[in-house]
Amino acid sequence: MASTAAGEAVAAFTLDPAKDDASRRLIARMVQVMYPHAQFGDEPYLRTADAIFAAAAATPAQKVSFVAALHDLAQAGFADLDDAAALGHLRSIEDTPFFGLVRSTTVVTLYDDPDVWAILGYEGPSFDKGGYVNRGFNDLDWLPEPRIEEYEAGR
Amino acid sequence: MTEIAADEDAVVIVGSGAGGGTLAYELTKAGIPCVVLEAGPFLRNEDYHDNEWVAFRQMAWLDARTTSGSWRIAKDFPVLPAWIVKAVGGSTTHWSGATPRFKDYEFKTRTTYGAVEGATLLDWPISLEELAPYYDKAEIAMGSTHRHGRPPLPANNNYKVFANGAERVGYKLYATGPYATNAEPYDDRPASIQDGFNFQGDKNTSKWSTLVREIPRALETGLLDLRPDSHVVRITHDAQGRVDAVLYVDKDGGLHRQAARAVCVAGNSIETPRLLLLSESNRFPNGLANSSDQVGRNYMRHLTGSVYARFDKPVRMYRGETMAGIIADEAAHDPSRGFVGGYYMETLSLGPSFLAAFAEPGGWGPDFAEIMDAYANTAGMWIVGEDMPQAGNRITLSDTVRDQWGLAAPNVHFDDHANDVAMRDYAYEHAQKLYEAVGAVGSHRTPPYPSTHNLGTCRMSERPEDGVVDRWGRAHDVPNLFVSDGSVMTTGGAANPTLTIVALAIRQAEYLAAELKAGNI
Ligand SMILES: Cc1cc2nc3c(=O)[nH]c(=O)nc-3n(C[C@H](O)[C@H](O)[C@H](O)COP(=O)(O)OP(=O)(O)OC[C@H]3O[C@@H](n4cnc5c(N)ncnc54)[C@H](O)[C@@H]3O)c2cc1C
Repeated sequence: MASTAAGEAVAAFTLDPAKDDASRRLIARMVQVMYPHAQFGDEPYLRTADAIFAAAAATPAQKVSFVAALHDLAQAGFADLDDAAALGHLRSIEDTPFFGLVRSTTVVTLYDDPDVWAILGYEGPSFDKGGYVNRGFNDLDWLPEPRIEEYEAGR
Repeated sequence: MTEIAADEDAVVIVGSGAGGGTLAYELTKAGIPCVVLEAGPFLRNEDYHDNEWVAFRQMAWLDARTTSGSWRIAKDFPVLPAWIVKAVGGSTTHWSGATPRFKDYEFKTRTTYGAVEGATLLDWPISLEELAPYYDKAEIAMGSTHRHGRPPLPANNNYKVFANGAERVGYKLYATGPYATNAEPYDDRPASIQDGFNFQGDKNTSKWSTLVREIPRALETGLLDLRPDSHVVRITHDAQGRVDAVLYVDKDGGLHRQAARAVCVAGNSIETPRLLLLSESNRFPNGLANSSDQVGRNYMRHLTGSVYARFDKPVRMYRGETMAGIIADEAAHDPSRGFVGGYYMETLSLGPSFLAAFAEPGGWGPDFAEIMDAYANTAGMWIVGEDMPQAGNRITLSDTVRDQWGLAAPNVHFDDHANDVAMRDYAYEHAQKLYEAVGAVGSHRTPPYPSTHNLGTCRMSERPEDGVVDRWGRAHDVPNLFVSDGSVMTTGGAANPTLTIVALAIRQAEYLAAELKAGNI
């Protein structure tokens, strides 16, 4: 994820981070350090950032503390840290409500994304295609076919 | 649909899940009109969503609840102690279908295990022998595979890994069932199309639930008055201490009264004791049917835990029936393992959405990402074993938190017993060994999910002072009040509970029908 001049741009206190591209990229970078997947590209992380902004806007009080924490993150130069340093920084704020909001929103957003499913190799709903019964539900071929009946002597 | 007048003394059933739905069918089939009050909506199979979060939000019971105790759920999911369903059909709409029976010794654990410190073990007032004919009826009703001529389901990919691992570590008692989903058309429902969605409701209707079988058949008798969106908030009684009506709230908050000749409560093991506690009165100051102070106590939720293992080749565990794989070798009482009671291993698969939320609650960082990156190459199993009943593991009414109707929310308190911890550790280790035996490159121990098996909070006992209901599920204190769900389980056994809940409900219906016809109730 590009991080070039982002640190500079968010140094000012942003009241509406959802409308601020640098803030969006900063949060996306945070999510990417928390859940690093080389194959995901930028888009799923940016979509997750949008969901986080929506969650953070639930009440004015929550929004105020969120933008303050975001400001701190920018001030710490997070956007320009390498992966190891960024991970270390996040470990230092792991117990904050800000981190908790980002984590809990990400867990139900990033992995609930059809593009991410495809990258992870999950094919999702199959009912309309007749299920997987003729589409590989039993195509694993690197182990022998096991018994499916109950063990005779055990009955 | 039949309408039963509000002032007609009816047989009233609270809840339409495994217990309530079965009871409603058995009673109406025997010619007895019933009112079923169900808190949730009447959704049909075509209304279901094959998407984990969408389905969860559509059907899970999300009314206010709180937790306490040392169990990890209190930290990971403090407002979601249990995963149960609020809809016609109850949790049988989301269940997966594993249907093992209890074993003989599991009805007499106090005698078999002896005294276990801190546990309130008690023998059931009934035996396996007594329940066996009803197990047969329940298996036939539910279409359990491997039983009564029902063929086994084929091996899916997750099962192939699981069963080969079992064979290599020396287990013998593995199979694709018993599992209450059709391998071939049965009972007017089609064979499984292995679409991978069970926990979201089965659009294909191959899976048994009271929504696809008992409820429609009870409606066909013309004797069932089914009222969805009807949340029972109090059971009232007359001057003799016999229950005489229930009060319920409709979806707009309107209050209604239904007169009752008998009331059968089947709201699952958190809501059932909550309703009895909410129904306190001058005559029953500690809650209805609670002279023993046992209502809400001895809450059990089965041991549970999961292991997800990664391989260097594809598994695609999500294709196919979620839990059509059972290993029974560890389901025995063998104290040499360091604990009393036993456990089953069962195949399990989650989609990425749920795996992310449940694999390692609170987890993040590169290790977490590694679990998710391996998704397509992952195999999974669930561990389900007997947990110890304890007096302090208990449903109580919250002093502070209220639900959407202003009623005290239930608090679910649970501390793991030392026996539970010893069994879980042993089970994790053996599950990991099983996967290593078929070449796992890594595996992860996943802590318990919000409880899907909720048991024991109105337990059956021979003596009134030891429990809440008698051998028929009839309240010791109130002759026309019955409990008809998993709350009545004296101890939990290792087996998934639903087959036993259904067998007990069929047996209770037979008794209740005879008593009603004889004019004893
Ligand atoms: C994801 C999942 C997988 C499962 N897999 C298995 C499995 O493989 N094998 C197995 O044996 N079991 C399984 N179970 C457990 C199984 O679903 C339950 O054991 C069973 O459904 C419990 O039956 P019940 O009648 O006690 O309650 P439920 O089936 O939960 O029904 C209770 C009903 O009562 C209603 N209700 C509650 N309170 C009130 C009130 N005050 N007024 C009106 N209505 C009320 C609820 O809305 C609900 O519909 C699973 C459960 C889940 C969630």
